[in-house]
Amino acid sequence: MKIIKAVKRYRYPYLFILPFFLLFLIFQLIPLIWTVGISFTEWNGIGSPKSVGLGNYQLLMKDYMFWDAVKNTVYYWVTGVVFILLLALLVSSLLNNKGLKASRFFKTASFLPNVCAAIAMGIIFGMLFDENAGLINQILVTFGGTRVPWLTSVTMSKIPVVILNVWRNTPWFTMIVLSGLLNISPEYYEAATVDGATAVQKFFKITLPSLSNILFFCFITLTVDSWKIFNEPYILSGPGTSNVSLFQYMYQSGFSIFKMGYAAAIGCILTLILLIISIVQFAIRVRQGEM
Amino acid sequence: MKKKIVSMVLALMMMMGAFVGCGSNSSAGTASTASATNGKTVYPKGKVVIYAYGQPQYLQQYYDAWLERNKDIASGVTIEIVQTKGADDSRQKVTTTYLSGSYDDLPDAMYIDPVNLMDLAKGDIVKDETALVTPLVDKMVSGAANDAKFQGKIYGLPDSVRPQMLFYNKQIFDKYGVDPSQMSTVEGYIEAGKQLKEKSNGKVYLSYIDPGSKTWRYWGRRGLMPQANAKIWDDEGNVVIGSDSGTKLALGALDTMYSQGLLLKSTIMEPALYDATRKGEVATFDIGAFWDEFLRKNVPETSGQWRVMSAPVFKDVGTAGAPVSSYFAIVNKKDGVYAGLCEKLWKDFNFDSTSRQEWVNKMVEQNAPYSNPISLDMLKNKFWKESSTFYGGESFRAKESEFLQNGSKNLVVTPQDAEADEIISAELEKYVAGSQSMKEAIANMDKNLKAKIGKAKIEK
Repeated sequence: MKIIKAVKRYRYPYLFILPFFLLFLIFQLIPLIWTVGISFTEWNGIGSPKSVGLGNYQLLMKDYMFWDAVKNTVYYWVTGVVFILLLALLVSSLLNNKGLKASRFFKTASFLPNVCAAIAMGIIFGMLFDENAGLINQILVTFGGTRVPWLTSVTMSKIPVVILNVWRNTPWFTMIVLSGLLNISPEYYEAATVDGATAVQKFFKITLPSLSNILFFCFITLTVDSWKIFNEPYILSGPGTSNVSLFQYMYQSGFSIFKMGYAAAIGCILTLILLIISIVQFAIRVRQGEM
Repeated sequence: MKKKIVSMVLALMMMMGAFVGCGSNSSAGTASTASATNGKTVYPKGKVVIYAYGQPQYLQQYYDAWLERNKDIASGVTIEIVQTKGADDSRQKVTTTYLSGSYDDLPDAMYIDPVNLMDLAKGDIVKDETALVTPLVDKMVSGAANDAKFQGKIYGLPDSVRPQMLFYNKQIFDKYGVDPSQMSTVEGYIEAGKQLKEKSNGKVYLSYIDPGSKTWRYWGRRGLMPQANAKIWDDEGNVVIGSDSGTKLALGALDTMYSQGLLLKSTIMEPALYDATRKGEVATFDIGAFWDEFLRKNVPETSGQWRVMSAPVFKDVGTAGAPVSSYFAIVNKKDGVYAGLCEKLWKDFNFDSTSRQEWVNKMVEQNAPYSNPISLDMLKNKFWKESSTFYGGESFRAKESEFLQNGSKNLVVTPQDAEADEIISAELEKYVAGSQSMKEAIANMDKNLKAKIGKAKIEK
């Protein structure tokens, strides 16, 4: 009764948010429930799905390709979070420096990698890291080094993926961190200067604590993005499953070998992993009294 | 009141906007019904959509000329080729469209390989063509329809059957005084590689090895494996790759070539390999006949240097490479009206000698791809024995037909092949990367196939 009253009272606001919720229901919630259902079946996309109970999940636990993909994704997550956040902090601090001349140019230029299409950049990086004819190896050879099998070695093939990922995503997070830096009152720094604080002390005692909410947001966003990484390892593919991501493995299972039920099970596991990570992160923030 | 009306109209517009495009009704293939006039079927105005991969833009030239010739039955009809990344991609697009119930958006026909054709046939997505193909089987090259058969019916219209060939650069062999005729056997092929390496001080490689999935596709599944009579599955569908002597022979030969430095590690169909080929650093390609178009297109500087011979045979087996078939499948499109038109198009392309020759001549002028026809009558024509300057005056077309004679039997096709290929290729890629030996690679293929697939369904 209460709900009906509330709906009646706020019918226009509800009407305005209705399109989003309709779309959410049709294109996200129903497919999500459908995916969970499919994950308990064997289905190649044609004909009727055949129920296999927990078969797909049991097979996943034994599937070395799945575990390789999980390990690779964790690697992309850790390297992505560390390098992207550090670089974003560094670049945004430089861009925020009042002594920087032509700051508008640098702000625009530093954002450009994010504007470039991931697939196009992947192809270019593939050429740069080519073992025989790539520019990177040509430079190494010119300086007396040897050719590195960047994309043809099991151990090296993740490196170009990480470089491309960091290069493409740092600008976006730089802009977010920069917006946070611009919101820090200059009076804090002035007071610290009067108290004789060094630049490093100012950074750790003023800048970092003031950015904690922004950095937490970046961390969450980067975590979700890293677990969903697809374009980079797909284009810069290495030998076997050496640099395959979980999202890519899900795609391959679904659309290359048409094991839709298996792919759905991977999707459910991926969702579960992201859910757990998010809960842990929020729990830590709550415990720290930040939320 | 005004405010309320405006609010409602706005909300309604937002909702409508969100659904724009859903359920759009394309007129392709469902224009109206075909009608019969003077014993001829006349097709209504509209667009025929065909999914194709490779370089299908060149087929468009045949289709446009065909429409011009067939104005009496297809006036107002256009043909659009939609390029896909490959057979998997075509199948994915067709399957998802079919599942969504958006039948109008389905193509009218598609080019497809045997593995994906089998799944589409099972799902009744492609048309049963038994009645059309059966009377023509005797008029086609041997085995043309074999891989399109499923549960006693023929689901694909044979488009091409192309053999495995050995392309070799005669100039390189002449320069280093190596006899190419010894390459009639795999053992002799390896020996030729060793001689080339030694006499060129390591500058010339016998061939290439791809660090990705193409090694399994071209060296393995379509090449050495059938040549060595190797098996992934036994007759019951059990995994036998780990204990199969043919597999050991096939992949052992690849291992000998790679471990002795006879193969240049380079991605196929990429500039680096073409550069090496242009510089005379790669002497041969043991690959399907399709490689002809890639050589002509990408290394035209080497025109006249190349020759072809039948793919080398293992001494103990005696058969050359397995032929690769591709099919043209008509999609079971609800309310579709162009199935008959697509069938006629296929028949003319494969059995009308004049129009096919005209098109091939155009392709030659443009250095574009084409394959031999499947029609035996057509192949008797002198045209298909004409010499080619690219091959130093030899007739590539005649050789293409000739090399079909001693072909090996293809590996058995199962619905699990796509997954099996991924598992096998992953191990082979690790071998090429140097992180495991070939022995370990074969053992891992066996172990992982058993763990992930278990048993394949052998379709009778």
